[in-house]
This record gives sequence, structure tokens and C-alpha cells, in this order.
Amino acid sequence: MAKDMEQLYAERLKRYVTAMRNEKPDKIPIRPFVAEFTAKYAGYTCQEVTHDFEKAFDAARKCAADFDWDAVVANMVYVWTGLTQAIGLKYYGVPGIDVPPDMGFQYKEPPPEKAFMRPDEYDQLIEDPTGYLFNVWLPRVSADVSPIGEPTSYRNNLSFLKGGMAMMKYFTAFGNQNALLRSESGTVSAISGILKAPFDILADKLRGYIGLTMDLFERPDKVLAACEALTPHLTHVALSGADPDKNVPIGFWMHRGCVPFISHEHFNKFYWPTLKPIIEEIWAHGHQVLFYAEGDWNAHLKSFAELPNQSIVYHVDKADIFEAHKAIGNKFCISGGIPNSLLGFGTPNEVRDYCKKVIDGVAKDGGYIMDASAIIQNDAKVENIQAMTDFTREYGAY
Amino acid sequence: MTKKQKPKSKPGTCIPWEQKLKEIPEISGDESLLQNVWEDIDALGYMYIWHCLLSF
Repeated sequence: MAKDMEQLYAERLKRYVTAMRNEKPDKIPIRPFVAEFTAKYAGYTCQEVTHDFEKAFDAARKCAADFDWDAVVANMVYVWTGLTQAIGLKYYGVPGIDVPPDMGFQYKEPPPEKAFMRPDEYDQLIEDPTGYLFNVWLPRVSADVSPIGEPTSYRNNLSFLKGGMAMMKYFTAFGNQNALLRSESGTVSAISGILKAPFDILADKLRGYIGLTMDLFERPDKVLAACEALTPHLTHVALSGADPDKNVPIGFWMHRGCVPFISHEHFNKFYWPTLKPIIEEIWAHGHQVLFYAEGDWNAHLKSFAELPNQSIVYHVDKADIFEAHKAIGNKFCISGGIPNSLLGFGTPNEVRDYCKKVIDGVAKDGGYIMDASAIIQNDAKVENIQAMTDFTREYGAY
Repeated sequence: MTKKQKPKSKPGTCIPWEQKLKEIPEISGDESLLQNVWEDIDALGYMYIWHCLLSF
């Protein structure tokens, strides 16, 4: 590796980590969560970066090399539909099949009566979550996996063989991708590991959002017990993927567990009591968690403020970033806040003005990372991403 | 997990070594080697299903 690239990497890592510890680095780190934008920039279709992860890796590296960014996610498109197709997963809208080739992949949630987990199956999930996933859930979400007790098939056997080998191939490839980001452009891999809240995963992949909200009233004790049963497993998976050097945080993707999707009462009874112990456990192991607060979670800032200082990085999407900074900025680093609509439909001057407003409002004492509000897809204009980058470099030195 | 509940399978495990051990009539060699390799590979099965749920 070229010495100057290694030096650049070290500078960027220090800058990024210092900000995440809510301290003041030499300048504001830039860590845009660029997903399908990378395809647009590198000349690929969404289908190409979703179905061929080497192209997604290539696009991410091309952006990292051309823009002056401190950290990126090694593949923010993340889902590799080659893998999901090998397993036979039904819930993806795949670019080039279910949606146009230049549209990002979609999740398809079944109607409540066809939810992947039935309302009378809570006890099975609670008793043995891993067994339930293998024996009941997987046969429902895969077109190829045979239900337990029914005849097996060629496609069933291949689903496990191809799925397992493809998953291993994909995860193993991230090691080389991270090394290339470091050696080619001195860029830090922004996150390591994955976490979802017990309540969110119950809504996302098991009962569905509508089904779960009905369960909150019809079988609340079962919902709470299910969240509690999932907690140790979600903690284990998060820690198993965490950065061994304890520099970069575990990515925590927050979905529909906030007001107004659910009430304050339900958040306080179900969501938070089964999430907070996970964050505390992860922090006890020395890892930060990046709260990717998709939507507006400002109604719950008081709860998040209960967490230990520096234990999280709080990313703001549609919420008021100034309010978030006022409430928890003394404890945690804040990131994001530049509206995706502005990056897609605004002008470079408007982007610069907004970046100035955010930097002036929340970054004065450090503890801020520049990023868009939400994951940057292929509707963002290249010149606006360049303006966000250049302005932050020009104006964001301490 | 509430205090009254005990998980049937612990995190990181699909088929515990203790269960597999009952299927083996006699071990004349190094049991810890067998256990470690069993648990390492069993953990891959565990990660497969949980990443299907969480990541894909």
C-alpha cells in the first residue's frame, strides 16, 4: 500500500472516530451512505449493482476514489439478489424482474392474512426462535424450501447448498473490499455488523406491520415475550459482526417502531425495553451502535438520552436535526440531516446553503458527521453530492 | 428473555454439542477437538438463518 494512502487512511479514521466519540476532530468527517447513487455515478444500472455484487463493490470504490469522503459503506446497496434468488426468497422486488432495471430493489410485504408468521404461532417463536425460523418461517418466505413434514425436493436441497455457499462467498468478499477501499483511496469502511430492534424485525419479516399493530391490542403479552425471546439472538448476531478493533459502529436500521406508527405507550412498553438492554450489552463490549433513525424519531429522544454517553451515533433522517442535537447532542455524535429531496431536485447553491445551516447549528463543537438524511439513491444529482462534499471540506475545518 | 423463560437453543447454536454427543457411542480421541469443530460449523448454520432474517 502506498505510504501516502495509508497516511490518508489513518487521518480519516482518526477524524471519523473522533467525531463519533462526540469530540472535535480536525474537520467534519464526510460519510455519505451512498447506495444506488454509486451505480449512477459509475455507469451501472440498479440491476447490475444489485445482482452482481462485484459491480456494486466496484461502484463503491469508484465513488470513494473520486470524492473526498472519509468513510463509506463497503456496499450500501447491500442486498445481493443473486443470493436471495438462490435461497428462493419471495419478498424482494428485483430490479430487471419485478421493477425496472434502473429502479432500486423493493421489499414486498404480504397482506396481513398471508403474513409470514401466523398470529397463533407466537409460542413456537418464543420457545425456540432459531427452530421457528428454520422450520416454519423459511419454508414460507422461500419458494424452494419445503415445509417440515412434506416431501423434500431438488430445489429444497439446492436452496440450502447454494444459499449457504453464496452467503459465505458474499460475506468473505467484504474483507477484500474493505482492504481495497483502504489501499486504493484511503477510505474507511464506515460500519461493521448489523442490528435490528426485536419489535422492528417482528414487524418487518414476521407478523407484518399491520398484523403486529393488531397484536399489540389482541395479544400484547405474546408480543412482549416474542421481543424478549429475540433479544439475545439479535445481540449475538450484532456482536458477531462487530469491528474487532472497536473503531466503527454496528449499523442499526430503525424502521416502524416510532410514533406515529405506534403510540408512545407501545414504544415504552414494547420497543424500548427490549432494545435498550441490547445497546447496553453491546456498549459493555466496547462497541458503538449507529442509530439509523429512518423517518422521524424525535418523539423518543428522551428515551435515547438514557443510554450511556458515546454509546451511540445518532443519524437524523426526516426529523428536526436541530431539535435532536439540542436534546442529545451533549451525549452523542449526530449525523445526516441534508434532505435527499434537495440532493435530488435542488441546486448546488441550495445544497451549500443547507449544509452551512446544519454545520452552524449542530457541528460547532464537533460530534457531527456530514451525510444526507436517508440512503442516497440514484435520484441524487452528482453535482449536488459534489457540492455537499466540497462545501463541507471548505467550511467544515475546526 | 424473562427470568421464568429459558431459551431452548442458545444464541449461536442450532444443535448443541451436548445433544450431538448423545449420538456418538464412544470417543476415544480428543473430545474438545470434536466439540470445538462441531460448534464452529454449527454456528455457521445459525448465522445463515439469522442473516436471512436480518440482512436479506
